[in-house]
Amino acid sequence: MLKTAVQEQLLPGDTLQAKWDFAQAAGYDAIELRGKGDLHFASRLDELKQAAKDGVVMPTVCVDMLHFFGAFDTSLRADAIAQMKSQLTVIAEIGGLGAQTPASYGMFSRRLPPFEPPRSEEEDREILLAGLTELGEHARREGVTLFLEPLNRYEDHMVNRLEQAADLIRRTGLDSVKIGIDSYHMNIEESDPAAAILAHADLIGHAQVSDSNRLQPGAGHLDWPAWLAALHTIGYDGYLAAECRLAGDPLEAVRSIPAFLQRSGA
Amino acid sequence: MNSLLDRPVSTASVALTLRRGAARVLIDNWTGTSTVPSRTLYPHQWSWDSAFIAIGLRHLSARRAQQELESLLAGQWADGRIPHIVFNPALPHDAYFPSPDFWQSSRSGRTAGAPATPETSGIVQPPVHALAAWLTHQADPRESRRRRFLSRAYPRLAAWHDYLLTRRDLGGAGLAAVVHPWEPGMDNSPCWDRALHRVQPAAPEAFRRADLNHGHPADRPTDLDYARYVRLATDYREAGYDDRALRHGFAMEDPCFNALLIVSEHALAAMAHELGIDGASHTARAEELTGHLVARLWDDEAGLFRARDLTTDTLVDERSVTGLVPLVVPGLPHDIVRRLQDTLDGPHFSAPATRLIPSYDLTGHAFDAQRYWRGPAWFNTAWLIHRGLRTHGLHSDAERLQQGFLAEAGRSEFAEYVDPTTGAARGARHFSWTAALALDLLSADPKEPQP
Repeated sequence: MLKTAVQEQLLPGDTLQAKWDFAQAAGYDAIELRGKGDLHFASRLDELKQAAKDGVVMPTVCVDMLHFFGAFDTSLRADAIAQMKSQLTVIAEIGGLGAQTPASYGMFSRRLPPFEPPRSEEEDREILLAGLTELGEHARREGVTLFLEPLNRYEDHMVNRLEQAADLIRRTGLDSVKIGIDSYHMNIEESDPAAAILAHADLIGHAQVSDSNRLQPGAGHLDWPAWLAALHTIGYDGYLAAECRLAGDPLEAVRSIPAFLQRSGA
Repeated sequence: MNSLLDRPVSTASVALTLRRGAARVLIDNWTGTSTVPSRTLYPHQWSWDSAFIAIGLRHLSARRAQQELESLLAGQWADGRIPHIVFNPALPHDAYFPSPDFWQSSRSGRTAGAPATPETSGIVQPPVHALAAWLTHQADPRESRRRRFLSRAYPRLAAWHDYLLTRRDLGGAGLAAVVHPWEPGMDNSPCWDRALHRVQPAAPEAFRRADLNHGHPADRPTDLDYARYVRLATDYREAGYDDRALRHGFAMEDPCFNALLIVSEHALAAMAHELGIDGASHTARAEELTGHLVARLWDDEAGLFRARDLTTDTLVDERSVTGLVPLVVPGLPHDIVRRLQDTLDGPHFSAPATRLIPSYDLTGHAFDAQRYWRGPAWFNTAWLIHRGLRTHGLHSDAERLQQGFLAEAGRSEFAEYVDPTTGAARGARHFSWTAALALDLLSADPKEPQP
């Protein structure tokens, strides 16, 4: 049985402790944190440490900002790198595994007008490699991992498929950078999601789950047994972290996820 | 470090490694709508392979298992036959011989009801499909109902059986006949030798074998046999694949083929029940077929079933694994079950180096430990016999066979078949049905109700 986690904003309760009570009752093994900008995540350090002391399991943080290390704008890029470094440091400090980020989100899509981005592919690649290297080296110093998340073509124009993430990561030569896969994006981008997991088995470090329509697993039409079987096949021992929108009663929806994943072979 | 490695590996971790290996083969060999038997040797979709593959694939993804069977059924002919190959249109025609150019299904088979597309072969393989469909349904009934899997598959599978029991009842005695050595699935079994020698071989320049590109000649059928296979298929094609127009040069009632038809009739009865249709006719048919199987093919002296050569109307004097597979039939008389159990344990089929069952009599005059169906032990027949042992409550024999199966599957890297005298892997590796059936033995609920 693979371990499950749920992002904190999906849980009811004013404190992480209260959220953890709900999560555990629903069958989750952990909470995935969200890291806002302006060093907000670092400002929560005391709260996070207390939660950890109280037994809340928080292995990962997923960035929650509107600019990223692949931004076109130099200063936004620099800020994104500073924020991610801080998030890696904080997640290390509370004994976590790592932090997840895409190259960009909502900045540009080659599938929408004006179709041609302001930066060449070569420049994109240089910038991504520089950012990944800087963040990966920081992660290594902190003893944690940076998870690079491929997003679908409408949300990012640079890293859409596992093979693109794998290529960049191999170029950095750092084992502190892995792929953070997401079932929803893979469903759009990979011709065979299960085969893609096998093909990049050595680099998969984290997994986020939502269904074909971005709703909670079970609310769409993904072939979950095939996807989960592929993760079992590669010996994946990380978490399946629910990052999704919720259909129906939100609390029921959150509660339904661990049992659904288990029924589907997790 | 050595001491760590020398420690005995736990059974649980061996099973996990095997499960992962089997799943990897099935994921690697999946093409999007079906599974190739082997990436190197068999690039299209094969009929009974797909059925066995679905039986394992259902544990990995019930949806893929359904698609596997649906993709095969998309190649079904209007006369009901399920062709033994459905060709992948994306591949060049010379990727495999006999190719679509050889079978010419959409042209030569038009009158018999071949689809305009996809291209298929014109012959068939053993009818294990309804059993596979029922097991696939049982793996995830909710997904099956959501996709209306059974209601789409059932009429097609019923038409398939109708074809076999009407057009292919060539002996007129209620059993289905095969008209080419490839149809019973045991292509070059010594059982077919005598009948095949009556066939005039095709000229060598009439064909080019593709099976030798990746397979070792010592493991494969000989050139002369291959030329006879080509002749039979050519004659069938030239008759428009019309079973009533052609006097078949080769016609056999095969025990394994008919046993699978019986098991699949029972599966159709279960499907009918699930769909709210009266399935009594399927049960009655299964019982009738069981009677015919015993009356026409059981050899009490030898303690196994024999193929019947319809050209001479005699039982073929060879002992083959095909004669043991009927153990899978639920309603077999008790004394026959006991005799089959004795034969399995006796000198003809009890192999020294493997607990699997050799495809042909170890003491037989034509035994060849390496050549395809003339001796090597195969995993699908072992799975069927395992199912038969379980069906008849012979649980310790079944358990022993299961352990042997899993050990050989892992050791051989999911080989196509193994040498029964040495246990050495032969044929293709990462063979889909070997992986699928290993996954089934590792995953299936032993209390799964029989159809």
